[in-house]
Amino acid sequence: MKRAELSLSLGVIALGLAAAAVTAQLPSEGGYAHIGPNFFPGIVSAGLVVIGAWLLWECFSGGWRSLAEPEPGSEHAFKPSAFVWVSAGLFLHMALIGTAGFVIAGTLLFACVARGFGSARPARDAALGVVLSLAVYLFFVKFLNVGLPAGWMPLPA
Amino acid sequence: MDAFAGLIHGFGVALQPLNLLWGLIGVTLGTFVGVLPGVGPALTVAMLLPLTIKLDPTGALIMFAGIYYGAMFGGSTTTILLNTPGESASIATALEGNRMAKNGRAGPALATSAIGSFVAGTIATVALTLLAPLVVEAALRFGPAEYFALMVFAFTTVSAVLGASTVRGLASLFIGLLLGLPGIDSQTGAPRFAFGVPELLDGIDVVVLAVGLFAVGEALYVAAFQSGLRETMEALRGSLWMSKEDWRRSWPAWLRATAIGFPFGSIPAGGAEIPTFLSYATEKRLCKRPDEFGNGAIEGVAGPEAANNAAATGVLVPLLTLGIPTSSTAAILLGAFQNYGIQPGPLLFQEQTNLVWGLIASLYIGNVILLILNLPLIGIWVKVLQIPKPLLYAGILVFSTLGAYSLHQSWVDLLTLYVFGLLGFAMRRWDFPVGPAVIGLILGPLAETQFRRALSISQGDASIFFTQPICATLLALTALIIVTPWLYRRLKRKSS
Repeated sequence: MKRAELSLSLGVIALGLAAAAVTAQLPSEGGYAHIGPNFFPGIVSAGLVVIGAWLLWECFSGGWRSLAEPEPGSEHAFKPSAFVWVSAGLFLHMALIGTAGFVIAGTLLFACVARGFGSARPARDAALGVVLSLAVYLFFVKFLNVGLPAGWMPLPA
Repeated sequence: MDAFAGLIHGFGVALQPLNLLWGLIGVTLGTFVGVLPGVGPALTVAMLLPLTIKLDPTGALIMFAGIYYGAMFGGSTTTILLNTPGESASIATALEGNRMAKNGRAGPALATSAIGSFVAGTIATVALTLLAPLVVEAALRFGPAEYFALMVFAFTTVSAVLGASTVRGLASLFIGLLLGLPGIDSQTGAPRFAFGVPELLDGIDVVVLAVGLFAVGEALYVAAFQSGLRETMEALRGSLWMSKEDWRRSWPAWLRATAIGFPFGSIPAGGAEIPTFLSYATEKRLCKRPDEFGNGAIEGVAGPEAANNAAATGVLVPLLTLGIPTSSTAAILLGAFQNYGIQPGPLLFQEQTNLVWGLIASLYIGNVILLILNLPLIGIWVKVLQIPKPLLYAGILVFSTLGAYSLHQSWVDLLTLYVFGLLGFAMRRWDFPVGPAVIGLILGPLAETQFRRALSISQGDASIFFTQPICATLLALTALIIVTPWLYRRLKRKSS
């Protein structure tokens, strides 16, 4: 039995129970149909609990069925650093886009993701990131009239 | 309006210079993203969905449709030269196509898939033109109970029947249904699952879910598990032309595949995957030299590629006539219609004749443009394949975050995007299909509305679902496709 399968199965059950708890607060009267806004959420919650239980049962009786596994040991092994670089890029972007602006946030995102995918040339990546985000910024603001934050860069708004 | 008059009218709309331009942009963009590994039509349309506020519906939907089937054409280039099927519907092509490229026959492989896609796409569009008015005729008699039964049928086939595991397909579907709950209840106006967050009152946007699952989840997965992987690309050597022998072997495969693919796509069951494998198996059985299969048989490329395109066109039948999407891309296209306050269904053919017939006519034009884009101009797309992975995924994420951010100009959408990215990563790693989640999010609220309308009509009497003949038949069919495979396995185990 695999730990990941066990926790994911329990996670689906927990999701169903949480949804059921929210559903319990919803009104149940529904006029002509005799069912209210809580009926469908109730079915979804119950479904999630049943599916979670089904996954749990598979997990205890020989593991999840017909699972496509990444081959262990080869180049397919999980690389935490790559995962962290890509995530860090996304969080930096999220934190900076409102203040530093679209171009700076986009450039950092571009460089971090490229680094996560194994690029060893941060200066080139940053340069390409600036060019791409600047082009996108100008296209959106000038051509489509969709506003994007200029932030710390002296850009036309 | 009958099919012929509708089509003539449609060409009048689709041939307007601006609509022609949107179509051209759509199919070019579609081919581009089809060629790029890791970017599919679902993701592209989702990223462009926020643009709908700026465009008129006819032009925008012609462009989105162009992306949709342009990606089907472009995907085969990647599959043949790189042996990394961009989507599950290309796996069958990869078997023979890459082998042909290794034998120095990349040219004929690309040619048979492009011409085959053109032939199948065109025949399937003719079938769509003729079939759609008939389905509309029948659908006008459908009430809420019938629509609900159709949706249950579609839910079941996309999640429980297609795919590796019934339970993981259902898990994906129910997560999608759960994500469809937040918002204002359509019948009573009561807020649900909003937790006092104003952004949630509008519901969860399909853009954020689709981009999160397809772009962020995919990028996290590929970075973490495959970024060290070396890929070898086959060179495009020799002539693009197919020999007389190649033609003779290809055309029957194209036609058979169209006959398999279109019906499969047009029943509300969806999936281009099964018809491509069916076509592959058919060609293998009919081939006079079955030993060539596995070593680069041209029928094995011609059939699945044609089946893929015919099925993709077929998917438009339930989408346009019934408003039922059966693939993730179709679900996002439905989201595009909803952004304009248009609900696809039989009334679309009466109230939006410009839009719907213009869209269908644009498919004919698009097929011709795609044939030109994918044969004489193939050299450009081969260059696109050479973009290094780090730069490719960095670019994808810049565009993905832009799509989510431009919804409300809020970092909250970016955080939601990352959370859905983690969900997508986990689903990819533990082999959950993501399509059912996207379909559940879009179709779930519609199914609930139809269910409650049906019960309002019957004054709460649930027997309405079993006494109406069409509705009862659909529900019985649904039960049958769930029980049959299970029963079959049971009996087989007993007899052995």
